[in-house]
Amino acid sequence: MNFKLTEEQELIRDNMREFARTYVDPVAVEIDENSRYPEEVIKKLAEGGWMGMPFPAEYGGAGVDYLTYAIAVEELSRSCAATGFTMSVHTGLACGPIALYGNDDQKKKYLTPMAKGEHLGAFALTEPGAGTDVGAATSTAVLDGDEYVLNGVKTFTSNGPVANTYVTFAWTDKNDKRNGMSAFIVPRETPGLSVGEHFMKMGIRASQTSEIIFKDCRIPKENLLGKVGDGMKIAMNCFDHGRIGIAAQAVGIAQAALDESISYSKQRIQFGKPISKNQAIQWMIADMYTDITAGRFLYYYAASLKDQGLPFSKEAAMAKVFCAEMCSKHASKAVQIHGGYGYCKGQKVERLMRDAKITEIYEGTSEAQRMVIAGNVLR
Amino acid sequence: MPNIVCCFKWVVDEAYIKPSSSGKIDLEWAEYKLSDYDRNAIEEAVRLQEIYGGGVTAVTVASSDATKGIKDALSRGPEKAYFINDDQFENLEPSQTSAILAQVIADQIDYDVIICGEGSSDMYSQQVGPRLAEKLGIPCIAFVNQLSIEDKQIIAERKTDEGMEVISAPMPVLVTVLPDINNPRVPGLKDTLAASKKPVINIELEDLASEYKRLLIDKGLKAASIERNCTHFGAGPEDIKAFVEAIRKTGVIDRG
Amino acid sequence: MSGVWIYADKYEQVFELLTAGRGLADSLGTKLTALVSGDNDTAQDLIARGADEVLLFPPLAEDQPVQDYVPLMADEAREADPDIFLIAASLKGKEMGARIAARLDTALCSECITMNIDDKGKLQMERLMYGGSAIQTVSINSRPQMATIPPRAYEPAQVIDSRQGSVRTLKKPEPSGMKVIDRKGKAQSSGDISAARVIVCAGRGLEKQEDLDLVRELAGVLGAEVACTRPISEEKHWMTEESCIGLSAKEVKPALYLGIGVSGQIQHLVGIREAGIICAVNSDENAPIFESADYGITGDLYKIVPALIEEFKK
Repeated sequence: MNFKLTEEQELIRDNMREFARTYVDPVAVEIDENSRYPEEVIKKLAEGGWMGMPFPAEYGGAGVDYLTYAIAVEELSRSCAATGFTMSVHTGLACGPIALYGNDDQKKKYLTPMAKGEHLGAFALTEPGAGTDVGAATSTAVLDGDEYVLNGVKTFTSNGPVANTYVTFAWTDKNDKRNGMSAFIVPRETPGLSVGEHFMKMGIRASQTSEIIFKDCRIPKENLLGKVGDGMKIAMNCFDHGRIGIAAQAVGIAQAALDESISYSKQRIQFGKPISKNQAIQWMIADMYTDITAGRFLYYYAASLKDQGLPFSKEAAMAKVFCAEMCSKHASKAVQIHGGYGYCKGQKVERLMRDAKITEIYEGTSEAQRMVIAGNVLR
Repeated sequence: MPNIVCCFKWVVDEAYIKPSSSGKIDLEWAEYKLSDYDRNAIEEAVRLQEIYGGGVTAVTVASSDATKGIKDALSRGPEKAYFINDDQFENLEPSQTSAILAQVIADQIDYDVIICGEGSSDMYSQQVGPRLAEKLGIPCIAFVNQLSIEDKQIIAERKTDEGMEVISAPMPVLVTVLPDINNPRVPGLKDTLAASKKPVINIELEDLASEYKRLLIDKGLKAASIERNCTHFGAGPEDIKAFVEAIRKTGVIDRG
Repeated sequence: MSGVWIYADKYEQVFELLTAGRGLADSLGTKLTALVSGDNDTAQDLIARGADEVLLFPPLAEDQPVQDYVPLMADEAREADPDIFLIAASLKGKEMGARIAARLDTALCSECITMNIDDKGKLQMERLMYGGSAIQTVSINSRPQMATIPPRAYEPAQVIDSRQGSVRTLKKPEPSGMKVIDRKGKAQSSGDISAARVIVCAGRGLEKQEDLDLVRELAGVLGAEVACTRPISEEKHWMTEESCIGLSAKEVKPALYLGIGVSGQIQHLVGIREAGIICAVNSDENAPIFESADYGITGDLYKIVPALIEEFKK
C-alpha cells in the first residue's frame, strides 16, 4: 500500500492551489457577499483545462483520473467552496452522465463544449416535492412524433441560472416506479424552458441556484440520455461519483478552517501568550488535522476504487457523510477559536461555517448516505 | 530567432522551515518548490519566445530525486530540459553550481540569451547568474526588470541603487531578472500533462569533466529568532537617535 | 602576499568598509587596500580614514557601466593575492563581487552579517538563508576570502590626521560591449503598498486628517509608501481601501514597517507578520503592537515623528 500521490497529481494539486490563490482568493469575499456568479473565474478555469478534467481528450477533456479531479475540487474549495461546487456540479453531475451514458453524437454535440468549459452544465433532478425521495417526482416526458414533450418544475438546480445545458429527469412511464423514469439533455435555448429566480442561500452564495420550469418543452428524441427507463439508474450513478466531489469540497473547506485557525491562534495574544499555547486550542487543532486527514483518505479511496472500475457506491457515501459532518463541526470550531472576530463578516471562518453546512445536505443528505451505507453493510 | 536558456533551482520551501527545540533547522518534513525568482526567469524566457520566436531550454543542477521539479519547470513552457543530477548535488554552493552549468551549457546547448532568477529563494546568494556569465565569457546584466531584443542586441532595464540603467549588449548575453519583470502564468492542467512528455536530457556526474570542489565551507545552520523581542525606547532626543540608528543598522533603508 | 581589500561603488559604503577592513587588517597584522574611482583628493581622504593603499580607477566613459571595472579588479587581485576582499552589497556590488569571485576561482559569502577571524586567521562569517528564517555559518578555503557587506553594517570610518599611505592609479578599463544607453533616477512612489520595501502606516492615534501630512513627510524621507489601518480607511475615510493593511485588506511584506499611532489589533498584525523589521510609535506602552515589534518608541507621536524626520534626514 502506498499513500503517495504521483508527481503529476502533486503538481496538478499545487497548480490548482496557485490558480485559486491568484484568481479566486481576490474575489471570494465579494462573490459571497453579492451572491455573484464569478464568470471571469469560470472562464479562467476553462482556459486552464479544469472544467472537463476526467473526460477523454477527444471530447475536450484532459483525460486525468477521477482522483486527480477530486483533489482539484478540494484545492479550489479551500479558497471558495461555491466556485469548487460550481466546477463539481458541472463536471460530476452534468458532464458525468453524458460521458457515461451518452452516445457519440451526444458527446460530440454536448459533452465537448462542456468539457472545454465553453458551456456550463446543470443537473435538474430535485423537485419541490421530491428531494431525497427521487421517486416522488412529477415531471413527465411524453413522446410526440420525433420529440419528447417535457412538463414539470425542478428546484434547487445548482448552476441553474447560468447553465447552457441541463441534464434532467422525467417520467416516461408513471406507472413503473422502477424503470419508468428517463434522463434527457436539454439545451437552455429550448422553447418552453424557463429559469426561475436565483435563490438567496445561507452559504455557497456564489453558486447559482434556481428553479427550472419545463412547460410543453419539446426536445428531439435524440436527446434521450441512455435508454428509455434508465433515468433512476443514471441519477443514482451520478450521485455516487458526485459524492466524491462533495467529500473533496468538504475537505477543502475544513482545510481552510484549519489554515485560518492555525494562523489566528498563533497571532492572537490573550493572558500574555498566543492562544495556540493553550491546550484547549491545541486539542481542537489536533482533532481538525486528524479528521481532515481521515476524510481525505476516505475520498481518495472512493475515487481510486472508481478509477479501477471497482464498486465504490458505499465508499463514496462513507466519504461524503464523514467529510461533510467533520467539515461542519470543524468550521464551527474554527469560529470558536476566532472568538468574537470569527462571528463577524470579513473573517474567512464566518463564510466557511456557512458554506460547510450545505455539504451535509446536497447530493444526498447525511441521512441518505447512511441509508446507502447500511443498505450495503446489512445486506 | 533566439535560442533562450533559463536556469532554475528546485529548493526547500521556506514555509516549512521550523526550528527544532534545539535551535537546529529541521528539514525532515520540508516540501520542495521551484525557486520563486526562477518562475520569473522561465516566464521571461517563454515571453521572449512568444515575441521573437526561437526555442526555450530549461536547465537545472539538482539532486537526482528532483524529477518533480523538472516537470514543474516544463509545465511553464520550455520545450525541453537538461537535468544535471547527482545524489551529492543537494547542497552545492554557487561556485560549483555555476561551473557545472557553464560546462554543460558550453558543451551541449546553443544559446543567445541565458536567463536566471536574481537569486534562489533558499540560499539567496545571487551569485550563480553572474558567475555563469564569467565562466562562459559573455556579458552579464543583473537585476533586470524589463527586457527586449532589438537588432540582435539585448536591451535591458536594470535596477541600481540610484534608480535605473538601460543597457544594450551584444548576444549571447546572460541576464538575471527581478520578480517584478513579469507575472508568471499559472500552468493549466494540459500544460502539466504535456510536461511529462517533453524531452529531458539526463546528465550525471560521470558525464561531467571535473569534480567541482566546494570552496564555500558550510559550518552549520541554526534557526534565526522568529519571536520579535521589542526593544523599547523612550521619547527623548537620545532615544530617537538610538531608535533611528537601530533601524539603520538593519540595512533596510535605501540611501542615495 | 597578504592584505585586506575593499571596494564599494558608493562613497558612504567605502567609509563603512574602511571600518570593517581596518579591523580585519589590524587583527591579521596586514595592510588595508581600498579600490575606488576618483582622484588624488579622494585617495588622500581614504588614507586619512584608514586605508594603507588606494588603487584609483580613472573615470569611465559616459556610456560605460561601472561593471567594466570587473576584469581589471580581478587581474589586480590575482596579482596582489590579498587574504580578504570585501565588496559593498549594493546591487552593482553584489553582481561585481560574484563575477570577480568567478574570475579568481574563489568563494564569496553573500550579504555577510557578521565576520570574525578565528585562531587560524581565517574568516568565520554568518549569513541569512531561507528567507531570513535561518543563519548559516561559512568559511572559505580558497583565496581571497570574499564577502559582500550590507549597507550600514559598520560605522563610517572617521578621519585620523597624519596617516600615511600610497596611491596608485590603474589603467582605464576596456569597453566591454555593454553600453549604458539611458539612466533614470528613482521612480516616483507607485502607491502600491503590497510591493513596497518600506511602509509607514498611519493608525488611529492620529487626531485629524491633516495629521496624515506628518506621516507622509516621514514616508518621503524614508522612500516609503504610506499605508493605514482599517479605522483610517473604513471609518474615517481619510485614505482609500487600497492603502489598508490587515485581514480582508492587504497583507504586506516590506523590509521595514513603521507604525505611527497603530495600536496593533490582531487583524492588522496578521497583515504585517511577513514584514522584515517592525517598528512602532505609540503613546500606550501596553499597546499590542509592541508585542509584535522589533523596535518601539513609547510617547507622543506629534513630538516623536518630527524628531524622527530630522534624524532620518541626517
